Amino acid sequence: MTADLNRGKEPMTAGFRGKAPTPVDVTREVPTPTRELPVTGLPSGRVLPPPIGSAVERIDAAEKVSGEAVYAGDVRLPRMLHGAVLRSPHASARVVRIDTSRAERLPGVHAVITGADTARIRWGAFRPDLYPLAIGRVRYVGDEVAAVAATDAETARRAAELISVEYEVLPAVLGLDEALAEGAPLVHDDAPGNVAHEFAFDRGGADEWFARSDVIVEGVWQSARQWHGSIETIGCTAEWSRDRVTLWVNTQTPFLARQRYATALGLPTRSVRVIQTEVGGGFGGKSGDDNTSVICAILARRAGRPVQLLNTREEEFLASRPRTPMRCRVRLGFTSDGLVTAKDLDLIADNGAYTGKSQAVLGAATVRHDALFAYRAVRARSRLVYTNLVPTGAFRGFGNPSADWAVGQAWDLAAARLGIEMPDLLLLNAVEEGGVSLHNHRIGSCELKQCIRKAATAIGWYEKRSNPTPHRGFAMGVSVHVSGRRSFGDYDGSSAIVRLTEDGRAVVITGEGEIGTGARTTLAQIAAAELGLAVADVTVTRPDTDLTTHALGALASRVTYVAGNAVKRAAAQACERLLAAASRQLGRPASELRVEDGLVHAPPALGEDVPVRLPVGVVVRAELYRPNGEPVVGLGSFDNPSEFPDGVRYGNESGAYNFAAEAAEVEVDPATGAVTVLELAAVVDCGTVLNPPLAEGQVEGAIAQGIGMALTERFDWAGGAPTRPNFVDYKLPTSQIMPRLHVEFADSYEPTGPFGAKGVGEIALDPVASIVASAVADAVGVRVHELPITAEKIFWGIRSATDRRDGDRR
Amino acid sequence: MMVRLRFRLNHEDVEIHVRDPASTLLDVLRDDLGLTGTKSGCAIGYCGACTVIVDGEAVPACLRMVGLLEGREVRTIEDLGGPEGLDPVQAAFVKCAGLQCGFCTPGHVMALRALLDEEPEPDDERIRRTVDGNYCRCTGYVKILDAAREAVALQKAVAVRNSRAGAATSPEGRRR
Ligand code: FES
Ligand code: FES
Repeated sequence: MTADLNRGKEPMTAGFRGKAPTPVDVTREVPTPTRELPVTGLPSGRVLPPPIGSAVERIDAAEKVSGEAVYAGDVRLPRMLHGAVLRSPHASARVVRIDTSRAERLPGVHAVITGADTARIRWGAFRPDLYPLAIGRVRYVGDEVAAVAATDAETARRAAELISVEYEVLPAVLGLDEALAEGAPLVHDDAPGNVAHEFAFDRGGADEWFARSDVIVEGVWQSARQWHGSIETIGCTAEWSRDRVTLWVNTQTPFLARQRYATALGLPTRSVRVIQTEVGGGFGGKSGDDNTSVICAILARRAGRPVQLLNTREEEFLASRPRTPMRCRVRLGFTSDGLVTAKDLDLIADNGAYTGKSQAVLGAATVRHDALFAYRAVRARSRLVYTNLVPTGAFRGFGNPSADWAVGQAWDLAAARLGIEMPDLLLLNAVEEGGVSLHNHRIGSCELKQCIRKAATAIGWYEKRSNPTPHRGFAMGVSVHVSGRRSFGDYDGSSAIVRLTEDGRAVVITGEGEIGTGARTTLAQIAAAELGLAVADVTVTRPDTDLTTHALGALASRVTYVAGNAVKRAAAQACERLLAAASRQLGRPASELRVEDGLVHAPPALGEDVPVRLPVGVVVRAELYRPNGEPVVGLGSFDNPSEFPDGVRYGNESGAYNFAAEAAEVEVDPATGAVTVLELAAVVDCGTVLNPPLAEGQVEGAIAQGIGMALTERFDWAGGAPTRPNFVDYKLPTSQIMPRLHVEFADSYEPTGPFGAKGVGEIALDPVASIVASAVADAVGVRVHELPITAEKIFWGIRSATDRRDGDRR
Repeated sequence: MMVRLRFRLNHEDVEIHVRDPASTLLDVLRDDLGLTGTKSGCAIGYCGACTVIVDGEAVPACLRMVGLLEGREVRTIEDLGGPEGLDPVQAAFVKCAGLQCGFCTPGHVMALRALLDEEPEPDDERIRRTVDGNYCRCTGYVKILDAAREAVALQKAVAVRNSRAGAATSPEGRRR
């Protein structure tokens, strides 16, 4: 035992023994010895300019605690109407006839629309397969069929119920096996076999490496739909002015949304303007793949008045795009001393009735995890399958949590089979700076090993594992995430304009926006640091597709890294121009000047002994108020140094990768199977931590969602739909269920990041469900293969193990 | 036919006319009175986003029929803070980064406000139980609990300051 426990501390130079054939010089492919890691508390010993790295208060905190912030449902326009949507009660049916006359006659109703009133165009981020309102067919319970605008929401809802629709019910496919069965009914006629997307590859020769392996583990794991459960549902307010519509939407991605909504409306992009309202939680669910805004725009056009359309909570469960469930068959090979050889993955993902982003989710689930370890070969076959169920899509972590659910548990099985403690097995195989995965992930800064060690220490892994407590178990997992990803065309860039004002402030103009993470605050910090201003003197705009810079928005953990760099460059240029102006005004070389605390500082003029101090605003005003005067403005842009992955997902998808190691201790009540997660330690490498409380908040919130995914979030289904789609049945974690959290960040610095920072928004969610399951297995010997991990499953697992043992004894 | 109702809202008398006395307080606040600080997260009394204070008690506005409010005292998030600064509970949320998207925040703030009005120095168990009554999808509750504890401390500091100054004991008292 002791020898095992110390393994991680020894240099990892072990080569293949046993069956490794001689012709290949495998020792050269083995990870190099662990280098000494910085333990300075600062990012690799660097000194950071204030206010980088400090607990700056959120710039939007006061308006949020006072109830003043304007969310989607708080928008009020003169003459505004309210919308409601009629949805399909059938999983699959032909729409024979729609009669809207009774709805139209209801007092207070101003517009009733059906598919006939739309441009009949199919739209979608990757595979256009969604009509704004049903044309001829409905494909899941919740599919949008018709909509109403009325003076108030209640009247609109009553009118929607008065629309009578005649359906011819068709056979539906309500699961992956049904969808893939020979001769199964087709969800879309143009998707034979119900396959929406598929790809396969074998990189490195998997069979050969499995043949060389001493230990092979294998299993099948199934993940489930998980809803974002943002406390604010999706909503939009639309207003037309001649042929142009303005949409106030709680979207994470205003520019991408505008493009898609314009397509769906059959309009040129220029006819749609999107303005981001305050966003009450996003997590991927508000990234413009659903019909709410499109329907709202059509209603407003029909009614000739502004219309607001908000999902009810029940509708949110039917109309949003929850996490894509996946069935993953994983096989892993190892040498007897614990070096990983090969991975084989067969992945089937449940697309639901329409595609949204699931196609990209599938890609991430297939390859991203492989950036963690020095696999010699990886083979995968991945399929995205249509079903007559709620369409799925992007949710924090993208494909990672579903892949981790399977692959992470397979690694846990391997550790047990190899007799190696998990932290040691991970340390033995973990990627390091300079690593290149089989899919060409090129790893820059990487403190994964530091994360693993710190997480093991934080949870007390070695002490507690050598003194086990009955019914308690431990597990550890790791994950990798991107900082932005090239997905929407060959561009993952951002641009920003920094305008210095005559009153001495800076306005950062960017279209990236805020969904609650604090992005606007960290961007303000970056600008403030670069400009020598106080954060309080920096304003960051909200996205408006007419007024701000073009931006892809809050997805793929990209804003800090990609937009942060753009803002930093824009601020640097503004500062340069400010100093050039001050230099002219003072008759001093710019090299002698600097900005600090909102003042331009210069050494004393010749013959004087008082240093010169000029408020920034005075310099800006003087620069403007002169003949042919000019504003002081800086422009900056940054494109993620990454590659657009090809059709089989080969390509360095991001310029920087973030890492995490998490360890959990759980307790299982053997009488009921109930699981309590006692403690969870998370150590994250996100480069420089720009604002500790905000970064911690990302990790803590992500873990909570991971706990929900693992333990509490589920529905009972009937006829292809959740029976009671609201929070009564679908239980978000409350504070009571949260474990003791230990959140820490690795000492790390990403050279290509703004002040060394990388993304942090998603990664901490990824391993949670997997390690909870593995810790349960460690505690009571029951391995759960299907999410969520319920007391029931564990109880019956314990029972059948006991029965087996009793049977053996008999 | 409109029904006339009178109650106190944020220390002012209000008179409203509603078509349906079974309308919820939440809808009336948001749609008829323009007070959008109170949020709707589920409309079935589950998430706590719509928490307001009625006669000193924190309640979900989405479950309160407005017809039953005649003569009662209602306080919403708009009542807290003001030109003099934030309420200690609000200030604690700002200081402790107890919010992200902020959509659950008014509800959490009102629930804690009601707790501190009733019990200025609640024990940790009561703080935990109060926070447990409201959902938050963003924070994992760590910093909300920090904020709740900080609110107790800030409130105490305010009380001490006020008693030294010999002034009214709370911003609420002053405004009345
Ligand atoms: S909206 Fe009232 S409790 Fe959720
Ligand atoms: S801060 Fe977003 S729900 Fe609580």
